[in-house]
Amino acid sequence: MARSRNGDMHTAQTVTMESHAAATLQYIRTSMDAAVSIAVPGTAGLVMGSVGVLAAVLSELPALRAHWLIIWLSAAAVAIAAGATLLARPAAPGGLTLRGARARKFALCLVPSLFAGAVLTVVHWLSGNLRAIPGTWLLLYGCALIAASVTMTPAVAAMGGCFVALGVLALFLPESLQLIVLGVGFGGLHLLFALLIGRGTHDSQG
Amino acid sequence: MTVKAKARATAAPAAHKRPNLTPLRGESEDSRFDRLVYERVRLGILSALAVREELSFSELKALFDVSDGNLSAHARKLEEAKYLSCTKSFAERRPKTVYRLTALGRGALNRYLDHVEAVIKATRRG
Repeated sequence: MARSRNGDMHTAQTVTMESHAAATLQYIRTSMDAAVSIAVPGTAGLVMGSVGVLAAVLSELPALRAHWLIIWLSAAAVAIAAGATLLARPAAPGGLTLRGARARKFALCLVPSLFAGAVLTVVHWLSGNLRAIPGTWLLLYGCALIAASVTMTPAVAAMGGCFVALGVLALFLPESLQLIVLGVGFGGLHLLFALLIGRGTHDSQG
Repeated sequence: MTVKAKARATAAPAAHKRPNLTPLRGESEDSRFDRLVYERVRLGILSALAVREELSFSELKALFDVSDGNLSAHARKLEEAKYLSCTKSFAERRPKTVYRLTALGRGALNRYLDHVEAVIKATRRG
């Protein structure tokens, strides 16, 4: 009887120590993931916003206006590459890269809406409905940001909301204003929130 | 919490067969500072700084949802143990405090991780 009781105690204690150690490891992993998740450098927004402003200016030039879709697609490729590089950078010193669980979650949240945007761009282009493209891009990019904000700072969700609002607006605006709204979104909103996020990293305490 | 687990182990009957936990190298000489790492918020700070080159006071506060005073106290203890380095500056007239993990702090976190892993391995063997 006593032997059995000791055996039970041994089992109970082993489970407690092991589960405690496992919980500690889990806490360390969660802390590391959370630290990486808040790494939204303002510079990423500044670079993406600058690319957006440049694309908006180029596509408004009379000589290049007919090529606005190529200009904006090129700008998107450059902005995505620059943004991804700058988002990955803060994690690098510790060796935690974009292969981490948090990065996978971020990609899973972001990619579906961006993929939908790419498919709809092709559909609009094939059907000659080019005026719907700016609104579609803004709307779906906003949705992607709102989804991805679960792994990032809340400011990203707010930025996503602004993109969604601009996208809805763009879908109902005349064609002459579409590219301006596109510039306001991918240029202006990126720059505005980059500054806000940059300010947010400053301390309230010395 | 690990301290509590150890206390329970000490209080167990002598007949109780415990897993043979070999003390880790350097554990005794560092035991004075190991207590620093055991505390949950401090362990979180060290873990977070292990994957980020630096974190500001406000980022750490948001991460662990603690008060200014509480975070200051924990950070100061780690700083006094030379586990963290702290840089204070002004950005746009606002004070900015940035923490970095030192080599000593990274070593302490690694030792603690080794210890936790050893506990898991030993209990699974036992």
